[in-house]
Amino acid sequence: MNDEAEDVLDALLREHFEGPVPDEGFCARVVDRLPARRRRNNWPMAAGILAGVAACWFSLWSDPITSAGWRDWLSGYPSTSTMTLLISMMSMTALALAWTIAEADDRYGGSSRLAFR
Amino acid sequence: MTCVADPVDVMQVDHALVARVLLTDDRRAFEQLVRRHQGMVRAQLRRLLRGNEAKADDLAQETFLLAWRKLHQFRGEARFSTWLYRIAYSCFLQAHRKQSSAAEGIETAVFDPPTMPREAAELRLDVERAMRHLSATEQAVLLHVVQLGLGHDEAAYVLAMPLGTVKSHARRGKAKLRALLADWQTESLKEREQ
Repeated sequence: MNDEAEDVLDALLREHFEGPVPDEGFCARVVDRLPARRRRNNWPMAAGILAGVAACWFSLWSDPITSAGWRDWLSGYPSTSTMTLLISMMSMTALALAWTIAEADDRYGGSSRLAFR
Repeated sequence: MTCVADPVDVMQVDHALVARVLLTDDRRAFEQLVRRHQGMVRAQLRRLLRGNEAKADDLAQETFLLAWRKLHQFRGEARFSTWLYRIAYSCFLQAHRKQSSAAEGIETAVFDPPTMPREAAELRLDVERAMRHLSATEQAVLLHVVQLGLGHDEAAYVLAMPLGTVKSHARRGKAKLRALLADWQTESLKEREQ
């Protein structure tokens, strides 16, 4: 189909479309029927984080690398255990940060990303 | 004086309103969103339901109630209006599946070229009749791409179809329409040339 014929057809179809429907009380009817928004419960998430931190603490407390690393750190001696401990803590912090950013983006991404198609 | 809204401004206002609803449960912000988009969503549904205004308004209401409940799922990857069209189209499909016998009627329509009277009022009827000779999918694609002015990618998002399928349905639908409305188109092109 050539461009001119396609333009004519498009124009004809657009002309044939009635366009937006006037409100005539529709909006008020919708708003009247809106149910209460359910609040998201945050306590399961908080409980999960606390349980995870506690489990991590108990399992690492008895580990010799952790206690040696902690002891060397306090005495200011940069041993392999100290470095392992530091790297583990930094990795876990970075993971937690990335997870938080991804969650926030999922929840409120619609308001911050503006340039789309 | 007619003021044409900048699409980027429209999108920014929509996203600001969505953020207000999500952060503060602001019903007035949602009311503004409904007010801004109800006209086109209802027009889309009226077209899909072939002018059944009551049913279209029921589905439009359902669309906005769903949008209210699922607003946290809006990620801003599409325009807010496109997201609404997608919800509206899926509401339409659900309602349509319940009446599958009607759907068969559309899909098996006979390709029967109408005669072309020249008067504008009759032309309107001819376009309506010609549209009915297209398959339901072709009609839906042309509605979204040509009449609602969405891009092919946006129409693919609304109709949950691959982009290539949307393009081929649009091409096929237009070719059929062109054949059906050939007489009128020839006249119109001649008028333009004069």
